[in-house]
Parts: sequence; C-alpha cells; structure tokens
Amino acid sequence: MSELQRELELLRADVEFPATPDIAATVGQRVGRPARRRPRAPRRLALALVAALVLLAALTAAVPSARDAVLDLFGLDGATVEIRPELPSSETAPDLRLGERSSLGAAREAADYHVLVPAALGPPDGVFLNRAAPGGEVSLSYRDGRLLVSQFRGDRDPDYVGKIASQATTVHRLEGAVWIEGAPHFFFYRMPDGGLREDTLRLAGNVLLVERGELLVRIEGARSERRALEIADSLR
Amino acid sequence: MEDRPPQEKPLVERARRGDVEAYEELVRMHQTIAFRTAFAVTRSAADAEEAVQEAFVKAHGALGRFRSGAPFRPWLLAIVVNEARNRIAAGGRRERLALRAGEERRQEDAVPSPEAALLSRERREELLDAIESLPERDRLVIWCRHLLELSEAETAAALDCRRGTVKSRLSRALERLRAELGEEA
Repeated sequence: MSELQRELELLRADVEFPATPDIAATVGQRVGRPARRRPRAPRRLALALVAALVLLAALTAAVPSARDAVLDLFGLDGATVEIRPELPSSETAPDLRLGERSSLGAAREAADYHVLVPAALGPPDGVFLNRAAPGGEVSLSYRDGRLLVSQFRGDRDPDYVGKIASQATTVHRLEGAVWIEGAPHFFFYRMPDGGLREDTLRLAGNVLLVERGELLVRIEGARSERRALEIADSLR
Repeated sequence: MEDRPPQEKPLVERARRGDVEAYEELVRMHQTIAFRTAFAVTRSAADAEEAVQEAFVKAHGALGRFRSGAPFRPWLLAIVVNEARNRIAAGGRRERLALRAGEERRQEDAVPSPEAALLSRERREELLDAIESLPERDRLVIWCRHLLELSEAETAAALDCRRGTVKSRLSRALERLRAELGEEA
C-alpha cells in the first residue's frame, strides 16, 4: 500500500458524512402501503374458503360440476384471481371488449387518472378506451395486438375485473403484483349491476397484474415473467 | 466486505414472499452504506436521501428477479448509484457540497488515537479537496474503495464495470490524485 493509500485509510475514519436518515418506515409504507391496504383481502380469502367448503360439500352430495369451488384467491386492488378445480365452460367468442378505438391524447383526456405508458415498448399500435369501466379503462396494443397493456382505477371498484384460473395454471404472487402463466384462463368484468361478463383470453395465457398507486395495470401477452416485469418497471 | 450478516438471506427470502417488516429490516441494515454511496454521487444529502429511498422501493419491486442466495448489497448499490445519477441528470437544483473532514473533535478526546495524530486537519482538507477536484470516474472509485470501504466486487457492481476495471481505474485515479496534490508517485 502506498503512502497516499495509507493516508486515505486514515482519512476514512475522520470524514464526516451527513447523518443517515432513517428511511425504513417510509420505504415500508411505500412498498407495503399499509395505510391504503384494505382488510378485505384476508376477509375475502376466508369467505372464499368458506364458500369453497360449502360448495364442495354440496358438490359431494349431488352436483357433478365443480364450477364454483374456489381453491385459492389472490386479491389486488381492482382484481381477483381465483383458482378453481375446473374452468367454467363458455360459448362466448374470444373478444377482449377493449372499448372504442382512440388515441393516446384523447384517452388521456377521457381517463380520470394519469395514463401510464411503458417506455420499454415504444409507441403503441392501437389505443382503446372503455368508458364503461370505473374512471375509464385505457388499453394500449403492441405487436399487432399480441401484447396488451390495460389500466384502470382499482380503487374505484375493487372487484371490477377478475380472472378464474385452473390448477394447471401457474400463479406467482409478487408484492403488489400477480403473475399468471400457462394454461388458458378466464377473464371477466363485473358489471355495475353486479352481473359477470365472462370472456376467454384471446392472448397467450401470460398475464401480469400490477398495482401502481391507485391504478391496476394488466400486461397480457409478454414472453416471460421477467419481460412483463421489465415492461411494468418502465411504466411512466 | 463481502461477508454478509447471517440474518440477511432469511430476510431477503421473507421480503420476497411479501413480508414488509423483513424488508424494513433489510433497509435498516443497508441504509447507511446506501446513503453514503448516493451522497458520493450527488454530494447533496437531500438528493441522496431521495435517491436511496427510490432505490429501495425499486429494489423491492425487483426482488422477484434477485438471484436467490446472492449478496444483497452489491445488487442494491448498483440500483442506488443509478438512482443517484438520475437525480444529477434531472438537474442541479440543489447545492452540491463537498465532503468535509470532521471538526477537531479528536483533539478534544481525552485519549487521542495514535492514527489521529498522523493526519493533520490541514492534510485531511487537502486530500478531500483534491479528491473533489477529480473527474467523477476517478472520484467515485476512490470514494468506493477508500472512503466507503466497499469491496472490489461491490465497487464493480456500483460502478457497473468489471472487477479488473476497478483495479485499473483506481490505479489511474490515485495517479491523478497524486498529480493534483503535486506529489510524485
């Protein structure tokens, strides 16, 4: 070690750094958002489990279909993912019901929130606006519709959308996000009258649901969880 | 410096599973080195605090991609430096302060350490001024290796370069520092 390096070693002990702020609580609040987190998720999970038990009992007794049995439930603000033994059958033609074709500028005007755009994907090849969604739902289409980024205010109606997946589907719970991969799964909107409008997913079965502040963002059709997370990270 | 606290790995695993308290514990464990590293880049305590807070939030969001069992600190410091540079790029809205040597507190100590006697206050100021006048690349590598006591691997991660590059960059930076001080190698 040179004389200069030895002096630098001594200097280290004498340097006066600004006091380190304690940011743990602030970071904890930002990543965990306990103030905004609603207690409904565990309650809903408990309710779902009770419902599943009741339904399973009923199914064992008489009904051969297992349509309504919920094996697990993942909750985010604005969406639920339910794992069921079997997928419901549907005659509905694949249709994403994206709403009217729009432009980014017009969609931004119409939505009552700041519309996020993923910088990682460049300009979208289509912009759609669904005015029926609470606060407006904006969908950005990429790769000729093979990749879709949709967003709406999850805080306006916590049960606006849902997904029903089978046991064959991989569901990976992340903090503030859920990754669903593999077997096709159902996607539904809950209408204002409480009824469900079910729809099969047109896209490949990979979906990342991400909470971003008051928004719930759906990234559908990304090649992998990693790519979906990269896209989510680039949302501005 | 690559020795990890034994509790780090279980905390990372718990945080990955969504345990916010475990993540807060990780933040407390690393916030000082993260803040000082950010300060080395921004030289503004306010910018450094913002950068570190943002870096911890981003790191949390990226925990799913963190390689299980890998040391957390180098990975975190890479994110910290990136965030700190973003603050600089966003505009010099805050006064940038050079780091100062401590006051003459050692002279007030009842029993001064022998090392303290070896480096006068004038020499400390001279060294810090000379480091401050170096280009960012030289300044940061000296900061990381000598003032923050980061390992080569941690410095490489923070500065986004190879370990071998850290060695050569440090060697050149020390040469420039000597020149700045008007000293021969």
